[in-house]
Amino acid sequence: MTSVLLLRLAGPLQAWGSAARFARRTTENAPTKSGVLGLLAAAQGRERDADLSDLAALRFGVRIDQPGTRIRDFQTAHHADSGKSMPLSERFYLADAVFVAGVEGDASFIEALHTAVQAPAFLPYLGRRSCPPVEPFDLGVRPDTHLMQAFREEPWHASEWHRARTRSRRTLDVLLDSAHGEPPHLSLRDTPVSFDPRHRRYELRGITTTSVEPNSAPLPGTPPPHDPTTALRKS
Amino acid sequence: MYLTRFRVNAHRREARHLLASPHRLHGAVNGAFPEPPAADGTGPRILWRLDHNAHSDILLFIVSPSRPDLTHLVDQAGWPAATDAEGWQTYDYGDFLGALTTGSTWSFRLTANPVHSIRRKEGEPTKRTAHVTFRHQARWLLQRQEKNGFEILTKPAGRRLHIEGDEHQMIVRDHRPLQFPKLSRDKQLNVSITKVTYDGRLRVTDPDLLRGTLTSGLGKAKAYGCGLMTLAPIG
Repeated sequence: MTSVLLLRLAGPLQAWGSAARFARRTTENAPTKSGVLGLLAAAQGRERDADLSDLAALRFGVRIDQPGTRIRDFQTAHHADSGKSMPLSERFYLADAVFVAGVEGDASFIEALHTAVQAPAFLPYLGRRSCPPVEPFDLGVRPDTHLMQAFREEPWHASEWHRARTRSRRTLDVLLDSAHGEPPHLSLRDTPVSFDPRHRRYELRGITTTSVEPNSAPLPGTPPPHDPTTALRKS
Repeated sequence: MYLTRFRVNAHRREARHLLASPHRLHGAVNGAFPEPPAADGTGPRILWRLDHNAHSDILLFIVSPSRPDLTHLVDQAGWPAATDAEGWQTYDYGDFLGALTTGSTWSFRLTANPVHSIRRKEGEPTKRTAHVTFRHQARWLLQRQEKNGFEILTKPAGRRLHIEGDEHQMIVRDHRPLQFPKLSRDKQLNVSITKVTYDGRLRVTDPDLLRGTLTSGLGKAKAYGCGLMTLAPIG
């Protein structure tokens, strides 16, 4: 059986680029496999040019708990020492988004990744160095399960105001690595082959989209159930 | 001791009249006892609490040394003609209290009036003042754990949402600043108290002390629906 490591990716800003080049740095709507695997590799303390084949072989999935909004930043940075202007760039971010990302694989390897996440060698960030994650970041290992099951059982991590707003529509989108031989719904060039800064290389990844009903968390404002008479009723 | 549950029909005029004023509800609760207990503040006393679980689910709980007769409340604010539900349910509380053991864990609910006495400048007489912020209200209860024979369970480090102030399995909710008139013989007084409701889980450390807390209340404003703590099995 495989284990699943779940991470909660939430912060004021995050950015997950997959095809961004040059001065226009876009973001996908959900965390990319390269972004999350890069975070795990950094937590383990791997160098930029280290071998990534074991990480890339993990099955990756992400659940969109709170989609957030896309914001655009027009950046006119100047060099701190020389004062020279850097190239004008346009950067896109996701503001106020919450995702649950999971990797599925062999139990001992997942456990090793979890240990690394708890005491990361290089600090984790959400796709861009300036985007730190907020707590709780590490949701822990789910033993003897697979990604879809873990997403089904994980409670909804959206903030209260978002849950109150989406009272009626309560399914969450899930993006999963396509199984072997299954025709993918979309594809993205974000399976990392090498993070070498001189020549980063990525492979195409087939993605299957689906949705889950979030584990029925109580709506905001609902008091927790409490019936003191249950202990007094004689059976 | 007896624990009584009465469901309020909030659609009735008299019910709204009672819900609007803890002073009037205090009178109505006292009117349920032909022989009220001594008011010297030493023995067990009549405690009551309103649980607003949902818009149409308002429950009145009463803990008392003798069996109440709530016929007048059913006529005014209940469902007198409903045949499938009794007007109110009274349970024997003594057996449950006697069976409390050290180390057992329960979920609890307490509506209380968290206050402290302060003076703003030197030499001024102290004045009873309500705790306003969540942090102070939480600390008010945490400071009273030991004296009242229980300890609130702590959260494992991984499930805390903040580094500080989220160590316990407890929420403070439903903060209500209340103001209502109290008719005295010759003049009209305004009473203002602050009510909050605590929900959480506790472990019994001293069953005798906790029995005293459950039957004679915790904190101030006990006549106005504060101080009644109830336990329910952790579900």
